[in-house]
Amino acid sequence: MKRLRHLLEYLGLRVLLFLVDCAPPALSLRLADFGADLAYLLLFSRRRIAVSNLLATHIAADAPSARRLARLSFRCFARMAVESLCSDRYLEQHNWQDCIEWEASPELLQVLNDPQQGLILASGHLGSWEVAAHLLSYHKPVVGITRSMNNPYTERLISRRKSRGRFELTPKHDLNTARLVTALKQKKILAIMIDQHAYSRGVRIDFLGRSASYDKAVALLHLITKTPLCFGYCIATAPMRFKFIASDPISYAATGDKEADVRAILKLLNDHLETAVRTYPDKYLWSHRRWRPE
Amino acid sequence: MDRNEIIEKLRTIVLRNSQSDLGQRAVSEQDRIDSLGIDSLAMLDLIYDLQQEFGIEMDPQDLIPVVTIGDLVTMIKSRVSA
Repeated sequence: MKRLRHLLEYLGLRVLLFLVDCAPPALSLRLADFGADLAYLLLFSRRRIAVSNLLATHIAADAPSARRLARLSFRCFARMAVESLCSDRYLEQHNWQDCIEWEASPELLQVLNDPQQGLILASGHLGSWEVAAHLLSYHKPVVGITRSMNNPYTERLISRRKSRGRFELTPKHDLNTARLVTALKQKKILAIMIDQHAYSRGVRIDFLGRSASYDKAVALLHLITKTPLCFGYCIATAPMRFKFIASDPISYAATGDKEADVRAILKLLNDHLETAVRTYPDKYLWSHRRWRPE
Repeated sequence: MDRNEIIEKLRTIVLRNSQSDLGQRAVSEQDRIDSLGIDSLAMLDLIYDLQQEFGIEMDPQDLIPVVTIGDLVTMIKSRVSA
């Protein structure tokens, strides 16, 4: 039964990919909106999580505005998936710079342009995170950490589509620590999503007024390698046109108190993420279970 | 610093970062690091603590062949005396 479901999902994905490959971006994005609206109607539990998160964080003042933002959030996620699948066709070496607008300091651009410096890019489930990695890979190779899908057929298909050029993926559950540190020593960009639940091993920090568990890895990697760290994210401004918004590079002056240093770095990144989510509440993935009890 | 001194310091660091309940278990050179409850995140904690404790900078390439505590001791010894 499970195998049959996986095969049906795989076939559905093949059809979707065919449509995305044939249609121009504007039409693909309209299809994404349609799919997202359908998902919003059918995926009751995800819809409930999104609405509940929006109300609990006071991002939405009342239930109608929470439902409106939740629906837009579903659309943003679907559009991000389509943009990611299209990105290798529309964002190429010769034109990528025309497709991106930068809102980043000269110091950060200097790090990106310097082949002798790596960068830890902390980001969140906001906007077009997959496209951000693709675009940045034209500056220097990007290593992204990804969670494997439950369906092995769709996993293989999507992995083939996503991993391209100078953007390589490392499975989350097959983390080789030395490989991550090596990527930074090789002056690559290591992209890490910081807003994933880290269970009891994480550091508890208030995110939008509610306690959330943060993984320590991003802070430890910065302390160990002293590689510059920044918070950045990418927002779509038009079909296959994007704005990359990033903080200045952070070089945290360690005090030697590991727990305090890790917490301070995570708090700094958390503050950037909060500001970004408050600026673009419709572009955050509200349907994931970010806030879980201890 | 001899191997025994390094092992004694390592034992404290491993016990602090292990995800398994090792109690007051002795750590020997033959122990595999992954059998001591050191997973990928705990490894980052371990590397940080080793750098602080021994005042060394660890090259990730050096870590790739490290499987046992004995391998780690050899690597630290070469770094400390370098």
